[in-house]
Amino acid sequence: MNIQKQLTTIQTAAILTSSIIGVGVLPLPLFAARAAGSAGPLITAGGAAAGFLGVFILIFLGRRFQNQSIIQYSPRVIGKPIAFAGSMLIILFFAVLTSLAAREFGTVVVTSVLRKTPLEVTVIVMLLLAAKQARKDIRIFAYTHLLYLPFILAPGLIIVILSLKNAEWLYLQPIWGTEWKRMGTGVLTVAALFQGSFIIGFLIPYMRRPERSVTAGFWGVSIAACLYLLIVIAAIGVFGAEEIKNLLWPTLELAKTTSLPANILERLDAAFIAVWVAAVFTTLYVSYFLTILAMSQLFRLKDHKALSFAILPVIFVIAMLPQSVAQLYEVIEWVGRFGLLITIAYPAFLLLVASIRRAKGESNSNAPAR
Amino acid sequence: MAKRPNTEQNRVNSNSQSTFGQKNEQLEKQNVQTALQENERILEEVLGSSYDFVIRRFTVFDQHAAFLVYLSNMVEIEGLNEDVLRPLFATRQLGSVTSPEQVMHALQYQVLYHANCQLDTGMLRIVHEILQGKCAVFVDGMQEAFLIGVRQVQRRAVEQPPTEQVIQGPREGFIESLDRNIGLIRYRVQTPDFQTDIIHVGKITKSKVAVCYIQGIANDELIKEVKQRLSEIDIDAVLDVGYLEQLIEDHPYSPFPQVQNTERPDKAVANMVEGRVTILMDGSPFALIVPTVFSQFYQTAEDYSSRFLQASFVRLARVVALVFSLVFPSLYVAILSYNPELIPTQFAVAVAGGRAGVPFPSFVEVLIMEVSMEVLREATIRLPQQVGGALSIVGVLVIGQAAVSAGFASPITVVVIALTTIGSFATPAYNAAFALRMLRFPMIALAGMFGLYGVMIGLIIIANHVLSLKSFGVSYMSPASPGNFQGMKDLVFRLPFWSMKYRPSILHASNYKRTSNTGTQMKHSHHHTLDPMKMKNQNEGAADEYPEATDDHTDGSHSN
Repeated sequence: MNIQKQLTTIQTAAILTSSIIGVGVLPLPLFAARAAGSAGPLITAGGAAAGFLGVFILIFLGRRFQNQSIIQYSPRVIGKPIAFAGSMLIILFFAVLTSLAAREFGTVVVTSVLRKTPLEVTVIVMLLLAAKQARKDIRIFAYTHLLYLPFILAPGLIIVILSLKNAEWLYLQPIWGTEWKRMGTGVLTVAALFQGSFIIGFLIPYMRRPERSVTAGFWGVSIAACLYLLIVIAAIGVFGAEEIKNLLWPTLELAKTTSLPANILERLDAAFIAVWVAAVFTTLYVSYFLTILAMSQLFRLKDHKALSFAILPVIFVIAMLPQSVAQLYEVIEWVGRFGLLITIAYPAFLLLVASIRRAKGESNSNAPAR
Repeated sequence: MAKRPNTEQNRVNSNSQSTFGQKNEQLEKQNVQTALQENERILEEVLGSSYDFVIRRFTVFDQHAAFLVYLSNMVEIEGLNEDVLRPLFATRQLGSVTSPEQVMHALQYQVLYHANCQLDTGMLRIVHEILQGKCAVFVDGMQEAFLIGVRQVQRRAVEQPPTEQVIQGPREGFIESLDRNIGLIRYRVQTPDFQTDIIHVGKITKSKVAVCYIQGIANDELIKEVKQRLSEIDIDAVLDVGYLEQLIEDHPYSPFPQVQNTERPDKAVANMVEGRVTILMDGSPFALIVPTVFSQFYQTAEDYSSRFLQASFVRLARVVALVFSLVFPSLYVAILSYNPELIPTQFAVAVAGGRAGVPFPSFVEVLIMEVSMEVLREATIRLPQQVGGALSIVGVLVIGQAAVSAGFASPITVVVIALTTIGSFATPAYNAAFALRMLRFPMIALAGMFGLYGVMIGLIIIANHVLSLKSFGVSYMSPASPGNFQGMKDLVFRLPFWSMKYRPSILHASNYKRTSNTGTQMKHSHHHTLDPMKMKNQNEGAADEYPEATDDHTDGSHSN
């Protein structure tokens, strides 16, 4: 194994944050409000907790096998056939996740800004961006996410801050919801938005100091979770839960109602979508990269470069399968909740088996002694 | 040269019919002959066809025939007369010296007092030295020739560098002469650690390229790599460091320059002290600096010579200008043709009013204006200076004004284009500004097709490209992108010197620390020397009178 240990803690945290913040932010207040009304922030916090759980399970697993990714160590834990099936599921799931994210954002763009542009164009443009950059190595992967991070966090924060002056705090009460079952589904739906952070299972072997992956995981997920929470609070505070249930992308509506001070820009929705391209790109980049990296590791290819454009047609076709926006969101919610089995339950199972069997990676002789 | 036998190849080189390099091959194994005529014949054959080739025959010690050869356009004739021929002619008074060994000894140790004088046996090297402006003295019976440096080539005076002007800072710029340029650097780094390694590049031009660095700071692998890349260059002529830049850069197809060039010796020195390597070439007033990261292109030498707040402010303005020059026209096109609802209503009305008579969509309008701006700019550079100044004013004022009143462009478009152009002028590095100038056009096209979404796609493509660039293994966006916080102190803001304690870590300098102390000492080493309280303690009696007198005076004047 000749892995260059080069990722710093900050880079890892940045990758995690930008993998989570993506197109999911746009319908997020809707998911939260539909599940529990004014208790939306609580649902979001619950989803974030599930996200934390998933990341920490992967980190504890990764710490056991510091020189291997989840694809590589799973056969040692549960045996080859089951591990192969699990890895195939991971690859399939992230391929589908990539397609759905590209499709979702393509739909947003076509519906709200470029009404005359065909959906196919916006989808393929986003996929091409991700595919092109996914050919690069893990170092550039990390650099890219670090550079984009401020441009991802800033627009969300700006919109939250500017819209809070229109917020009505009464809309956020009661903070506790009532219907347990629907709240549970809501938590799962929101938790599904954190699935990009599964990439941590592939990053630990590349980290310069794997022992600090807990720090990286904590900060990476926290920053994203805070932004999620703020956006949900702002959206519910401005519109009220009942109104949000009638909006498809409440975050976008939030941008529409806010204007920059001194009237520099009257509405922010088009600008927000434009800036959000960066956030969507990084999310797509993570899931695309994860898909081809997992494939190359599963089939023991030398590197992942050639796979990048090879799987592009497949991803594009999957992206175009849903027939309408309504169907798209049905699929997204369903796939997301199903994905939790892969991104949380499967690693949890691996961790359980590994700790029972006391399976561990080879002694970390080539881990840096710093 | 008809008598030369080797004529089967018809490639005509200058006025002889021989193949290129044949002369070199002939000379390769030749040594200086004891027979004087033989030497003369060889030189005559090789260089004789040049009109400025001169052979001056004379005798030394009254009996030994000798001759002097030089190229009359390359040497200083006065120095040749005074410092070479005069002592040689004076040998007739020294009496007779018979054996060739004695002649050589006498000439070397008693007669030729010129500081730059050496002996050589190889004919090829002698010819090359003559071509470089030395003169050679051959004496009958000797197996060596004297090579004396009396070279004089035309060179201009050291002037202020026209491409990198500063308000505060040294005014000297590099000139074409390599010797003078190295002198300018050495004058600033008076340390034996400053090294210059010479490599000859170019099959015909054999240009002298100097790799300069500071030993013990620059990374050894980097120095090795630079020399390696330079020595691998296989090209006939190198006339400027620009040739070298293209041949050693990592990504030739990228619009972004990966090598920095400068005309300023102080900038070259500053970069060497940080751990970079500078490449100078004889005949070029520019120095190349490697490795280069993007942030260097908006930094100037002045950022360090002026106070840090001032420097940071100006640098911030430059970054804004850089971004402007890339995205401003495309943003304008995108907002106007796709999202006019973004801009405030009153302004939108004004814009629409201005565009009322314009027949084209804003995309075409901006594109036409941008192209004509590029043409104007190129014309201003190529025209003689006296006319150039007039043209730029004529171009901007008259054409812009005329275009607006003819209903060809809206006034706001003209403003946008003007701001963009000025923005691109504010970037200190011409080649980096050029990259963004070029990329402006695809950006405008994307804006015309996809609006703001397209602008963002364009920016992402550019950012992704830039992120994957490397200059000698250093990531192009560092220190921003690997997240190096030490390096970020000199990114957009230039922090005070005491906070920049280390050299840029991306360069892996052998000597990492800039200062030996902890840095805080640099800040707090001041004593309030002239504090009145202290002064009073030192010389109480004398200090009292003078201030009191002035106090009285001012009090008196106020009361009047």
